[in-house]
Amino acid sequence: MTTLAMTVAREPRRYQVNTTLGMAIFIGSWTMAFATLFVCFLFLRHREPVWPPVGVMLPSLPLAATGTGVLLLSSALLHAAVGRGRIGAAGLAPLWGAALALGALFAVLQTWLWLDVWRAGFHADAGNYYGLFYMLTWFHALHVLVGLVALGWVWAGILRGRVGVLRLSPALATSIFWHFVDAVWVVLFLGIFVL
Amino acid sequence: MSGDHIHPAPTSFLRKHVFSTDHKVIARQFMWLGLIWLLIGGGMAMIIRWQLANPGLPVPLLGHLLWPRNGGAVPPDSYNTLFTMHGTIMIFLGLTPLLIGAFGNFCIPLMIGARDMIFPTLNMLSFWTVVLGAGVAFASLFVPLGAAEGGWTAYPTLSSTIGTPGSGETMWAIAVFLIGASSIMGGINYITTVIRLRAPGMTYTRLPMTVWGLVLTAALNVLFLPVIGSAMILMVLDRVFGTTFYVPASMTQGGAGDPILYQHLFWLFGHPEVYILILPAWGIVVDLLSFFSRKPAFGYKVTLGALVTVTVLSAVVYGHHMFTTGMTAMLGESFMLLTMIISVPGEILFFNWLHTLWRGSLRLTTPMLFAMGVIFVFGLGGLTGIYLATISTDIFLHDTYFVVGHFHLTMAASSLFGAFAGTYFWFPKLFGRMMSEKLGKLHFWATIIPLTIVFCTMFISGWAGMPRRYYDHTDSAYLRPLQHLNVLTSVAAFVLGAAQLIFAFNFIKSRWWGAKAAMNPWQVGTLEWTLSSPPPHHNFDTIPVVLSGPHEFSHPGLKDRDWLPQTEAAPALPPGAAAPHAAPAGTRA
Repeated sequence: MTTLAMTVAREPRRYQVNTTLGMAIFIGSWTMAFATLFVCFLFLRHREPVWPPVGVMLPSLPLAATGTGVLLLSSALLHAAVGRGRIGAAGLAPLWGAALALGALFAVLQTWLWLDVWRAGFHADAGNYYGLFYMLTWFHALHVLVGLVALGWVWAGILRGRVGVLRLSPALATSIFWHFVDAVWVVLFLGIFVL
Repeated sequence: MSGDHIHPAPTSFLRKHVFSTDHKVIARQFMWLGLIWLLIGGGMAMIIRWQLANPGLPVPLLGHLLWPRNGGAVPPDSYNTLFTMHGTIMIFLGLTPLLIGAFGNFCIPLMIGARDMIFPTLNMLSFWTVVLGAGVAFASLFVPLGAAEGGWTAYPTLSSTIGTPGSGETMWAIAVFLIGASSIMGGINYITTVIRLRAPGMTYTRLPMTVWGLVLTAALNVLFLPVIGSAMILMVLDRVFGTTFYVPASMTQGGAGDPILYQHLFWLFGHPEVYILILPAWGIVVDLLSFFSRKPAFGYKVTLGALVTVTVLSAVVYGHHMFTTGMTAMLGESFMLLTMIISVPGEILFFNWLHTLWRGSLRLTTPMLFAMGVIFVFGLGGLTGIYLATISTDIFLHDTYFVVGHFHLTMAASSLFGAFAGTYFWFPKLFGRMMSEKLGKLHFWATIIPLTIVFCTMFISGWAGMPRRYYDHTDSAYLRPLQHLNVLTSVAAFVLGAAQLIFAFNFIKSRWWGAKAAMNPWQVGTLEWTLSSPPPHHNFDTIPVVLSGPHEFSHPGLKDRDWLPQTEAAPALPPGAAAPHAAPAGTRA
């Protein structure tokens, strides 16, 4: 690892390519994991004569829609932050921090979404609708948590001057992962709440 | 991301030997892990064979220790655990760490001219994740109600809480998930390393085929291990949180899942897994056959094309494991056709292997013998695969010992032979000492003969209708006449097992007391042999420039030796000499 003490040496350009490529291969790989779960969702859903099944309380659509908007905005801000970071313009730290805050807000909204239906008695063993709902949202939420930790870690690096225009690859890798987490959520949202 | 500049070598014991980021140390760690688990998994096979030959008789030596309450004989539930854990261990903890973990880590940076993997920390994490998975698998043997009993395929409903109520099956699923995660980390590292860190001049068609086999395996790992990971998540949710993804309505109130869904997920991963294990072995075989025939590998680019074709096809044939699930005829026939098509690139590989041997100056060293052994056992396994790809014969042979014989020859014996070939070949570079050739050859013959008997007798008993996984075949009158055949299989299996002790002895003895290895004991040209044995911490003092392919043997322009290091350009042909690929008789070493 490059150590940055007082003066920050510019990382070689190839480091950014290496990191981006490694992350891209991981995203390609992990897309298979989410795709598998999503196909299971579609498969089991199409076995049911009526969907959602009669008698289940549906999770709150306004809450989920708000969460989707929050997450998309977070991705947009992160994209802007990386753009600033690339050219060394001001705004990397506040934009990154805002993206992190919106990600955390999404996690809060998701918890609210779960508590709502959980309190009404719809747990993971309450039939396939809720089994699939919890399976998809839990697995996605795990990635949100990992993403938040990574975003926070890189943000701390930005604030301390360890990540920036001279050393951008940690920011690049994290932002790619976060866009992936957001894109997956859009698909899950459409699958669970819209279709 | 720093496999491309020189790091100072670590000095503390922990960073040097335990939490090392050096790919060569990680390779050796993977190798020890794989070999130890092969011993455990192989030991389980011995107990399974004992039970099949002598149903209900106490197991010698270990029986009274393991099952005192049963008089030393294997109880039925332990028998289920044995065959489940035998398969799981051999595949995920034996062959995968050995072939992909050890050779992938060791060969890729050395053969492409890099100083380390591109993500050394991820590499270390990959090893310790597999250790964690192995720990969970090992711990599951000691939980109440025992380890997993659902077979290595873990089909629901066998693997549901109704089939296996104990927590062993849950731990099995978690272990598979962790081991899969480790392979994904390794795969990302291998692919990125080969794309980004090849030395100047190391074009894709100058890569040793070993590297190609490992990269294609990495691609399959990266694409299909997430599928089994997801399948395991659903299984754990079913078992722990009471969801019903795999639970049919007939089994529990409110269940609306489908056990066949699991089979689709499992085989979507499971069939590529066969190739995940065999592709590195094939890559090693292509290189070794050329190295020890002192000839260029016949049809390098065609072989490469065949390997890529097999890799792609492996992803679209999994349905042939599920002909008996009642899939529509059109779907079944499509899978049958696609499966049959794999024999085309398969035949190309065989043709090119045999043509590499043809008129070569064969040096029958131990690695060469094992490489040729791969051709033989994969040939047997591949030909019997035709019966299982054909729906009409598969429905009859499904779940019989014919299947056991077939997949052991293809994915188990072939990959194991590839792993042995690689171990004997790279041992001098791994540990700086030579393995004993005499013991190695004894090991080869003491392995291939009983191994052929073990799995070929299984074809006969399977054809006669003997089902897999039965605790005691002699319960069924129609299977009793097969018992003498089972005894023969078991005796051969015990000889096979004992022969592996020769390898263990040779390995341990050579590791510490073997003859010191020279820089290039096999006289071959790939980059790892331009380094000292074992190579220094940073591999290459200066990154080499590659000027020729990996298989330039017996070039007519060479004077005092018959191999060409990849760092040298092929010399000019002497006037009137034939092109090197024609391998004229006069150039034999």
